[in-house]
Amino acid sequence: MNIVVAIKHIPSIADDLPVSGKNVDFDSVDFVLNEWDEHSIEQAVLIKEAVGGTVTVVGVDLIGELDNVLHLALAKGADKVVKITADDPAADSHMQAKWLAEAIKGMGANMVFAGVQASNDLDGQIGPMIAAYLDMPYIGGVSSVEANGDSATVNKEFAGGAGAKYSVSMPFVAGVQAAPKPPRYAPVSKVRQMAQTATIETVSPSGDASAGLAFKNMAPPVATGHAEMIEGSSKEVAAKIVELLKSKGLA
Amino acid sequence: MLTPVEKIIFILAAIASVGFTFHGFKTIIDSIRKGRPAPELKNIPGSLLKAGIAVLFQQTIFKARKLLSAIHMGLFFGLITYAFVNLTDALEGLIPGFDLVYGGKHLPYENVPTGLINTFNLIADVMSGFLLIAITVFFVRRFITKDKALTFRDNVLLNPKVKAGGQNRDSLVVDVFVVMHVGARLMSQAFRLTEGADPFMPIASFLNGIFGASEVGVHVAWWISLGWVMFIIPYLSRSKHTHFFMSPVNLGLAKQNPRGQLDPAVPLKMIEGTRFDPGAKHVHDLAWTRVLDAYACVQCNRCQDVCPANFYQRPLSPSALEVNKRYLLKEATFGGHPEKLELPLTETVISPEAVWSCTTCYACVRVCPVGNEPMADIVDIRRRMLVDGYEIDSGVQNALQSLATNGNWMSKGKRLRGKWAKEMEFPVKDATAEPVDHLWFVGDTASFDERVIPITKMVARIFNAAGLDFGILYKEESNAGNDVRRVGEEGLFEQLVEQNMAAFGKSQFQRIVTTDPHSFNTLKNEYPQFGSEWEVKHYTVTLLRLIEEGKLTIKNKLSNYKVTFHDPCYLGRYNGGFTAPRKLLELCGVEFVEMPRNCENSFCCGAGGGQIWMGKVAPGERPAENRIKEALTTFGEGAGDKTQLFIVTCPKDMIMYSDAVKTTGNEGKIEVRDIVQLIAEAVGVEEPKVAEPVAA
Repeated sequence: MNIVVAIKHIPSIADDLPVSGKNVDFDSVDFVLNEWDEHSIEQAVLIKEAVGGTVTVVGVDLIGELDNVLHLALAKGADKVVKITADDPAADSHMQAKWLAEAIKGMGANMVFAGVQASNDLDGQIGPMIAAYLDMPYIGGVSSVEANGDSATVNKEFAGGAGAKYSVSMPFVAGVQAAPKPPRYAPVSKVRQMAQTATIETVSPSGDASAGLAFKNMAPPVATGHAEMIEGSSKEVAAKIVELLKSKGLA
Repeated sequence: MLTPVEKIIFILAAIASVGFTFHGFKTIIDSIRKGRPAPELKNIPGSLLKAGIAVLFQQTIFKARKLLSAIHMGLFFGLITYAFVNLTDALEGLIPGFDLVYGGKHLPYENVPTGLINTFNLIADVMSGFLLIAITVFFVRRFITKDKALTFRDNVLLNPKVKAGGQNRDSLVVDVFVVMHVGARLMSQAFRLTEGADPFMPIASFLNGIFGASEVGVHVAWWISLGWVMFIIPYLSRSKHTHFFMSPVNLGLAKQNPRGQLDPAVPLKMIEGTRFDPGAKHVHDLAWTRVLDAYACVQCNRCQDVCPANFYQRPLSPSALEVNKRYLLKEATFGGHPEKLELPLTETVISPEAVWSCTTCYACVRVCPVGNEPMADIVDIRRRMLVDGYEIDSGVQNALQSLATNGNWMSKGKRLRGKWAKEMEFPVKDATAEPVDHLWFVGDTASFDERVIPITKMVARIFNAAGLDFGILYKEESNAGNDVRRVGEEGLFEQLVEQNMAAFGKSQFQRIVTTDPHSFNTLKNEYPQFGSEWEVKHYTVTLLRLIEEGKLTIKNKLSNYKVTFHDPCYLGRYNGGFTAPRKLLELCGVEFVEMPRNCENSFCCGAGGGQIWMGKVAPGERPAENRIKEALTTFGEGAGDKTQLFIVTCPKDMIMYSDAVKTTGNEGKIEVRDIVQLIAEAVGVEEPKVAEPVAA
């Protein structure tokens, strides 16, 4: 089984997000692995552990710091890692999808996983676009994948807690919502060992990639309201809530 | 005394006994030697001698259970006496005419030291009585009143043989042995008293008054007495009473490094051709000194008594760990099942859940009379579980992941670490940019937690008011790694140390001061191994010095407070920081009362060793809640119009205990405060909104 995982390096929101001009001030933020990509790596490694095969993790290096993430992926069980050296922190999901698709094209993947979305663009586009470029079917909102021969049984989540089970023919692209198990912890000693021993394959971005969207403006949200804490005994609190509901015409 | 036939039987039996004993101890020693290299022990003869003296005076058992310890002391002295008694008894049997009753007046020698013999007879006689009393107390405690302290919780993993009562059988054998042996020995002497009472043998004389003298009786009693000894010595090597021989040795080979310095994950001493995986999966992955622990343990369960996890009804019992270790080793050696050694410790010795319940408070190691380190075993097991990809608690995993990426466990950006300092009414120096005298290592909780930041700011104000030249590392500070190391993530610990050492390298300062006892511990005891050579002080020590040097003046005596003080594990038990906080409280003029569990015997809040990161919270009364109740009981009813305060000197304690006050419904009765809040009140430093701005 040949599984390729396309990942995305995104600005961390652990800090207050600084804005400069029409975009994030990329010099003042740390970059981290997209949370959903952690799940697609986990899903890929779980399949490999179940039926064998190889896991290749590929991502676009936006700020020259993707190596750490790739070493982490290796420590978690990936077999091969590839970085596309773009050196453009502003490259959006459209551009990245094109570069990723070009890099994945020759890999002979049976399955391609991408996180169903990322918290920066929040448009869920990378997976579907890769599928389109590679001419493969796409299934999103995936919560588990089991490989059986030439096809896979895929669970997809719908809103409201509903779910469906699909049989999908390979090759295909899946947008992973969650792995069946929480992403595993990679001990730092193992990550560091990978950093010393592993090789990262480097490719240049290729293909005619252009941004689908242009920024008009970017600004931090303005606080328009605030929560009011109602204090006092439970009776007093209840009385105040009733009063409040009445004043809003809700009771 | 013995007939020639009896002599031959005795000598043959003695040879067999020595043979079995030798085999027993050889087996044990071989099994201990299979352990990994231990951290280097210096001056072993010296420390063995010191341990010997400690054992002779029974110093280490009196840390807990004073009355039972006194009885143990009686038993110990009795058995020591009996070593000599058995020797003279053997001589009585083997040498014709060798008879020590009546001051040895029937001895076929000249210049018999009557005084010495009478003294010996008296000691032997009285000690026999002590032994019988002591063993009766222990028998009653185990089998009649069934002291709960000798049992384990149902959820604790136990070797099936322990569960089936293996320990009780061992105890019963020894109880019966002592009664039979001592009883028979007393009778053998009583039967020798052909000329009536010997004033130096009161008990034997009393028995002689009842049973009279008897030549046959002497033989029978002698054989019972010495026969038991020949049986029991080899038996001991196969029972928990290896304790008799191994505990002094173990005490002499106990940890020499500071309490706050964990053993390395792989031995520093390399052995050619051996690659050590970090930590321990199997029993012989433990350092040999900790394999020895199992044989020194007599399963008194003092460690279990003081264990906060055990109190919290978690499946952890440090003594069960040692008991299970010995049973595992016994099955593998004497039991002929060496394949059992291939089973992981988490299936044979301690359950995974128990491994992850330990707060690393060190109470078990501290209280152990024989120098065992169950806590170190637990950390080693965690280390291997992490490397082997064992699924860990999601909260711990999130904390570790954040620590790896952000350098703190709270998933906050590095740049936010110094945010509180930028909000101050005076500039707080950046030690990476300008030289300072004191580098203040703030720690994660004090830097990021909204509940603790007001206290952090108060520390800054006090330092500032005292004219202390201090700075912080701002975004360059990473978590010190104390608890990271104790959850077993050695690689991440090393990474954090490297980050902090790099930050220290960039900065100019003379000494380090910390507000967090956990950071304090690793900076003081473990960073020197990575090249740190700075003096590290806890802020309580710094504050005391500032007052003593007159840099801070106590203006207000706070007699309106009745306070008690909680010793944080990593300040107190680990690093002996008991006096500075108490001295500060005294200087503040508060009414101070000490909780029953204080100083070395302080009770952990339950947060250490990664417990504060746990995603799952177990049901039951938490250690911190129990501690708040202890404080309230200590205060009693007599506070009058005074405010009752629970004083802490650790940011984690602030969180744990504030929470516990709420969950136990004691708001209004007791308030948790950091010691610096009292100092601020006493020296008249206030928050700027209600006070004159503090001159920068």
